[in-house]
Amino acid sequence: MITVTRVFDAPRELVFKAWTDPDHVAAWFGPAGFVTPRDSVDIDLRVGGRFDLSMVRDGAERRLHYEIVELVEPELLVLKSDATVTRVELEDDGGRTRMTLTDGPYPEDVGRGAGAGWESAFEKLAAQLAA
Amino acid sequence: MPADHLSITFAALADPTRRAILARLAEGDATVNELAKPFRVSLPAISRHLKVLERAGLISRQRAAQSRPSSFRAEPLEDATAWMDTCRQTWEDRVDRLEAHLREMQR
Repeated sequence: MITVTRVFDAPRELVFKAWTDPDHVAAWFGPAGFVTPRDSVDIDLRVGGRFDLSMVRDGAERRLHYEIVELVEPELLVLKSDATVTRVELEDDGGRTRMTLTDGPYPEDVGRGAGAGWESAFEKLAAQLAA
Repeated sequence: MPADHLSITFAALADPTRRAILARLAEGDATVNELAKPFRVSLPAISRHLKVLERAGLISRQRAAQSRPSSFRAEPLEDATAWMDTCRQTWEDRVDRLEAHLREMQR
């Protein structure tokens, strides 16, 4: 499981909007070298709803399908694909917003605590490998 | 590496006893008896964990010796680590772009 943390100079409501409004998601989701066409973004913003979009590079399209499994405006969005769970937590930090994003392929029955244990054990193993 | 190999690797790693066994084997080969000592689980339970790890390619076991010592195999973990690095880079890129977009939204 990976964790990415970032503090944005923007209020939490705006960050949540950037994550859930298709017009905004299309503007940033395709990582470097990719675009996410606006008409590829299909979000049904409710628990159980879909969160689908495409990443396009050189005409090749990769379609991503997620299900929204947790949704608490404006602080939590959890997306599940067939292989991974992506969790986005937003904390208010005096008008700024601290985002903690985790993404990982772990069984559904592995809770957050177990996930963290898994991560540290994995990193320890990886360190031993590198030695 | 096909995604289902990764799934098998991660499923094998999703158990704390198996992770502890792997950490022990990363330091050197060990027999079932040696592996069972630090854990409060039976020899058959250790053997079952070893089978899961073996199927995932995370360990290999000698066929000839009576004690069948287990050896750590790094390749699946290296593949899993490479996959996680790619995944982390993708999200870092996205978050950079999200940060730039949030600035645009506030202009």
